Amino acid sequence: MTVTREQVWSALGEVFDPENGMSIVELGLVYGISIHEDAVQITMTLTTMGCPLHHSITDWARRATMRVPGVGSVDVQLTFDPPWSPERIRSVPDHTAWPR
Amino acid sequence: MERVRSPGGRSSGLLPLSYLGAAVAALVAATAALPWLAPELSGHYYQPRVLALTHTVTLGWITLSILGAAYQLIPIVLERPLWSDQLARWQLGVLLIGVTGMIAHFWIGTWPALAGAAALVGLGAAMHVVNVVLSLRGFDRWTFTARLVVLGHVGLSLTVFFGFALALNHLWPFLPGELFPTLHAHIHLALAWWIAPMLMGVSARVYPMFLLAPEPRGWPGRIQLWGLAVGAPILVTGLVAAPGLIAPGAAGLAAAAAGHVVWIIAMARGRKRPGLDWGLRFVLTAAGFLPLATVLGLALAFDLLSGPRMALAYAVLVLGGWASLSVVGMMLKIVPFLVWYRVYSSQAGRAQVPTLAALGWPAAEAAAWALLTAGILALALAAALGRVDFIAGSGVVLATGVLAFAASLGHTLLHLVGRTSARATDTKALAR
Repeated sequence: MTVTREQVWSALGEVFDPENGMSIVELGLVYGISIHEDAVQITMTLTTMGCPLHHSITDWARRATMRVPGVGSVDVQLTFDPPWSPERIRSVPDHTAWPR
Repeated sequence: MERVRSPGGRSSGLLPLSYLGAAVAALVAATAALPWLAPELSGHYYQPRVLALTHTVTLGWITLSILGAAYQLIPIVLERPLWSDQLARWQLGVLLIGVTGMIAHFWIGTWPALAGAAALVGLGAAMHVVNVVLSLRGFDRWTFTARLVVLGHVGLSLTVFFGFALALNHLWPFLPGELFPTLHAHIHLALAWWIAPMLMGVSARVYPMFLLAPEPRGWPGRIQLWGLAVGAPILVTGLVAAPGLIAPGAAGLAAAAAGHVVWIIAMARGRKRPGLDWGLRFVLTAAGFLPLATVLGLALAFDLLSGPRMALAYAVLVLGGWASLSVVGMMLKIVPFLVWYRVYSSQAGRAQVPTLAALGWPAAEAAAWALLTAGILALALAAALGRVDFIAGSGVVLATGVLAFAASLGHTLLHLVGRTSARATDTKALAR
């Protein structure tokens, strides 16, 4: 089964920053996705260096991607170069209460 | 792109929660005492029970909150873990005994035991400073926040040293000059070199994170840094030795306050966060109190106003309006985060997890915001007028607001003690 980038983006859309309720895709935290057969590599950042959620968010992204049919392995690389800034936010839906 | 590992420290969250819990208990005690202390508060502030109340607010509430938040925020703002969690745990025990002892002995007016308790507070503060200094070994990213955090810890050391000297002076008088200028110098060291640098420094780093706003830059930062670094020593020197320096020192601090407000406005206007939660509303409201307090402080410094009632109104605006509402706002962000991290972070990706907003109690937070904002304004006015009945009424409003705030935090903390039932509740709510 071929894994597509759209499937991976969609899976990552379920991972949200608990502080503001926005997904890591909406926040622009995902810098890149590369797929080689069943292996997926995700390069992402966090809103701030030193964020205590770095283990939780990267594990969450890995687990969400592993649920995509056909994915055999996921490698999540964290980078702060370039650093995140609010200009990377894609949309501003109102997520002030419950997650989707 | 360079790949790096985030340097943020991993903590259980219980350490900052312990500090914050003790701080909230102090706030509840302080506001509960307010209506009973109305007769004293309508007169001169230099009375044993008013001093007990003041130290319950400054040491018990504000300082313990800053210390607790520091153990959560220092790894974020300085991008490195704390040197020792163990030292911080021992420090809490020492501080709790010391602060409680100080408040109790102020209340009953017993000076020898007060000096002993103050020595314990000094030991606790020294433990904290050592922990932060050792955390900073090899640090080379001297950002605005890092500089202000260092300034704040210098200020904490000097404030505690000065306070201890005042306590000893009651037993064996040795300080030159009059009591009140020395007392005012102690208060302004605490305010301008401990509380203000910590609040301004940390807010420059975490408010953009919460508001999804660009990090503030430029001249307002330099004005804040230099206004505090230079203005406070000039003011303190003016108070204890050269009265001509009081006005220029106050002007430096006013400039720092103006720079801070300019930054807050810029962050609020540049935010991409779609809705403001109550924590953010609290910190923005707190910033609104700063110009009021600054104008009153300048009027006192330039001798346009004078007297203990106006000084008390100024203290209410700056400690209650700016500092306390800022701390309440930050606590409404930090406590849900710590609870989420402890209860739900391991579930993320395995089961549905709530947002931090879902852990809070918005109705209680809204009530707390309305009651605390109105109560602080009313108390400042009542203190200025010296009206006992108004002070007592404002105290009741504030105490009710603090109970609403504590209830909101308690609602969040219930997730810690009832993990299973809380998750079941969330799942039902999510399904609706």
